[in-house]
Amino acid sequence: MTKKLRMLATSFASIVLAAASLSAAAQSGAPIVIGSSIPLTGGVSTFGQHSRWGSELAIAEANAAGGVLGRKIEMDFQDNRCNPAEAVKSVTQMIADKKYVAIFDGLCSSVALAIMPLIERAEIPFVVANASATSIAEKSGVGGNKWTFKVNPTDASMLDALAGWLEKDGKAGSIAFLGEDTDFGRAGSAGLEAALKKRNRKLTDVDFYQKGTADFSNVLAKIKSKKPQLLALYAIDADFQNLMRQWYSAGGGVPLTGRVLVDQVPKEIMASGFLDGTTSVQPYDPSIDTPGNKTFVEAFTKKNGTPPILVSFESYEATRILIDAIKRAGNTDHAAIRDALAKTRYQSILGGAPLEFDANNLLHNNAAILGIKGGKVVVLGFSKT
Amino acid sequence: MDISFLIQLLLNGLVIGVIYALIAMGLSLIFGVLEIVNFAHGEFYMLGAVAAYFLTTNLSIGYWPTIALVTVGAAAVGYILYELLLSSLRGEGFERSILLTLGLSMVLQNGAVFLFTTTPKMMLSPLTYSNVIMGDVRMPVLRLFALGLGIAAFIALYLILYRTQVGKAMRGVSQNREAAMMVGIDPRAVSRLAVAIGIGLSGLAGAALAPIYAVHPLMGFSFVFKAFAIIIIGGLGNVSGAAIAAIALGVLESLIGGFLPTVMVDGLAFTAMILILLIRPQGLFGRGVRV
Amino acid sequence: MNNPLMSGRMRATLVVVGLVLLFAVPSFTRNEYVLALGVSFATFAVLSGGLNLVYGYAGLLSFAQVGFFGVGAYAAALLVTDANWPVWAGALAGAVLAALMGLGVGYSSLRLSRHAFAIVTLSFALLCMIVSRDWVSLTRGAMGIPGLAVPQFSFPGGLSWRLNKPADFYYLLLGLAVACQAVIYAVVTSRIGRALKAVKMNEPLAQSQGINPLRYKLMAVTLSAFMTGLMGGFFVFYLTIVDPSIFDFYYTETMLIMVILGGAGSFWGVLFSSAILTLLPDMLRFTTDLRMVLYGFILILAMLVFPGGIGGWFERRRIERWRKVPYGGRGTP
Repeated sequence: MTKKLRMLATSFASIVLAAASLSAAAQSGAPIVIGSSIPLTGGVSTFGQHSRWGSELAIAEANAAGGVLGRKIEMDFQDNRCNPAEAVKSVTQMIADKKYVAIFDGLCSSVALAIMPLIERAEIPFVVANASATSIAEKSGVGGNKWTFKVNPTDASMLDALAGWLEKDGKAGSIAFLGEDTDFGRAGSAGLEAALKKRNRKLTDVDFYQKGTADFSNVLAKIKSKKPQLLALYAIDADFQNLMRQWYSAGGGVPLTGRVLVDQVPKEIMASGFLDGTTSVQPYDPSIDTPGNKTFVEAFTKKNGTPPILVSFESYEATRILIDAIKRAGNTDHAAIRDALAKTRYQSILGGAPLEFDANNLLHNNAAILGIKGGKVVVLGFSKT
Repeated sequence: MDISFLIQLLLNGLVIGVIYALIAMGLSLIFGVLEIVNFAHGEFYMLGAVAAYFLTTNLSIGYWPTIALVTVGAAAVGYILYELLLSSLRGEGFERSILLTLGLSMVLQNGAVFLFTTTPKMMLSPLTYSNVIMGDVRMPVLRLFALGLGIAAFIALYLILYRTQVGKAMRGVSQNREAAMMVGIDPRAVSRLAVAIGIGLSGLAGAALAPIYAVHPLMGFSFVFKAFAIIIIGGLGNVSGAAIAAIALGVLESLIGGFLPTVMVDGLAFTAMILILLIRPQGLFGRGVRV
Repeated sequence: MNNPLMSGRMRATLVVVGLVLLFAVPSFTRNEYVLALGVSFATFAVLSGGLNLVYGYAGLLSFAQVGFFGVGAYAAALLVTDANWPVWAGALAGAVLAALMGLGVGYSSLRLSRHAFAIVTLSFALLCMIVSRDWVSLTRGAMGIPGLAVPQFSFPGGLSWRLNKPADFYYLLLGLAVACQAVIYAVVTSRIGRALKAVKMNEPLAQSQGINPLRYKLMAVTLSAFMTGLMGGFFVFYLTIVDPSIFDFYYTETMLIMVILGGAGSFWGVLFSSAILTLLPDMLRFTTDLRMVLYGFILILAMLVFPGGIGGWFERRRIERWRKVPYGGRGTP
């Protein structure tokens, strides 16, 4: 028993040492520090990881270019497990620490909403890169939370663009919907319903699966038997991978649309041409052909061993926007950074006109309507959101 | 109603059920013999899948050797796990086992995230998309293999429990620990073997499913709660009861999912579990490591 | 169980001093993080205290606590947001609803074996989460209900207390926690507590002594459900949002760890471990990547070193001193 305990205690101590040295190595000088609250563990930890990678790349680039206001810039990441109670505790700690010039992301919508009153009271700017709930922007800006800034477009606006596209193409007939049973998936179905309603149509079939489901064979068989014209998918992460495989195995037969992650389709499925005819609306795709994006994808893949996804991109751009605002503010005063954020004119790596925050502190990037043709992702068009 | 659709649903459910059974049987055995809950059971499933992924993708080891290697490796891990952590529990360590295995699951899950990242990995082989087609019913070949492995594992477990001395000892300890000690059975050796087999089965499930589903550090988490429910419904410590309950759950989920909105599947499954337990509190098959 | 190291009088003094200090904290510091920790401690103290009552004293491993927590939370949020109830009434209604559910779950499944009861409570909690996510017309679904109103208590005589500062929530939740703990303490040191322990140790024997196990178990379940629901009903106003994550396994896991580490059945042990475990995950924040790995390791080590939890350790010391023979020495089993 003692020997075992000693063994365990030694391995425990070495992990503590390793961990401490990992964090010690990251400290130096008098840097400017941003505090990021993201889910590093738990069900959406993939997104937390990508948000972190995207932010880290932006930070590294800023430091390589000489830092910000003559100082190094850093980002501290704290795990919020996608749980508002954890987030409130950890962000309160970050605020009490008094060393953070801004708070970043939140990532999950309920977490972002829980953080908003905290940063408002503490008067610290909060940049939301990934949370998708419309209520965030609705509660921000003029007449609301002046310290919260949201960088990603709402699902509603993107789906409106997609619906418009599909209608133009004559394809908005009977659309079935399959999404994950979370705020993301539910927002998707609500947004698509609203967009179709404007055009006097509706979804013929709406179904949700529990996040983490591995097996979709039955629901796919069910959908196929109803023969819709299109299938709108709101799936991400491992679920999406499993869906694609099982869809392929089941023989497909219905073109896909919605927020299909065309950049994450398994290569062999893509190359076979099986998914030709898919449409998707995303704020981002790694294949969008601009110099800025190419550099980003290359640098990101080299650093992390895997290409960026939507979340990595949004965190990357949002971090750059924040860094830019700090530079323009000229100092690290919270109110100055907030004002500088409000006056942002940011050139996205996806090209296009410089982006600005609107009256609700929402930055409107363009959404890309993507398609798959000949086994490759193509950009069918852009739409202002 | 389409008869081939129904057959497809039943077949799908059977395969899923056998997977559940592989995981539940190991959990049931461990619970029966050691009287502890293993909260980390899903993590061994995940580790089995991760190991299979690496063996196949990075070392180019074939399907069947991988399965064998991972199963044996998992059993070895179970053996070490027992010696390291569980041997001190000795029969009255129910609460301790909860915390020990909870801590272990945290270490394994988050360690896996740290070492392998959360990006899902898909194994690719020539068999990935081969289907066996019988009329309108298709069954992917790899799933049939998993089904076969599950059945083989069940038979092997049956043989061990009923045709070997050590298996008899396991059943004895599971039925009455004190009495077993009195007749000279060493609970320690028996427990060690039970854990080794239990974890081995979990690893086998992971290796069998790695070619089919995405491999990622969180893949074990969703199975754990269902596995607990299954072993209680099957009857505590009753390995075959657990297997039957698992298959029943798989088929039930499949049928519900085929005819009702998918979003209702979990809710109805849990409701069914509650109802079964209310009607038959000792589980469908009662206690005891019977097959 | 009695703390061996001090007399009842000294213990009472310590408790009073401790309470005074706790309530004085907001006057000493404006550090909101300390207040946030206090809120977290208060909430989890009641959560784990409730679980301790049901598991430590009555011997029923219940996963339903988080269900009662969330039910109280949602009920309060909905009544306040949709029906304009005052917050205290909403929270109280949430507590009552949770208690009724506890009664229902308990009455239907307490006749079952311990293990079946555990699974039924687990299914109950999981069903609560599923309902909160999928019954969109009632609960707003996965989006949850953000922007919950600032609670305002109006007292007769024109006084009102608006809880718009973290310190306000600190006082409120700490006060509630103290009240709940007092109730739990009263119960476990009373005849009811002894009956519960008897039932846990040997139910047939207790029954033969005229104790009705079902009645006492039901009491424990319902009482803990009420308190848990009450805390939930107020806690969500601190968070300003309620969503299905209020049913996360994270709460169950934390509660279980607190109870087992504290020593199931030890009132002070569980309280003490709630305090430690509120602080511990945050103390480990010096490492972002390995925080949870370290946490898991600590749990494993703790279980190997303190098999009975903190309470169990104190129990052993007490028995040691009473026997004046080292426990586990030569010749002892």
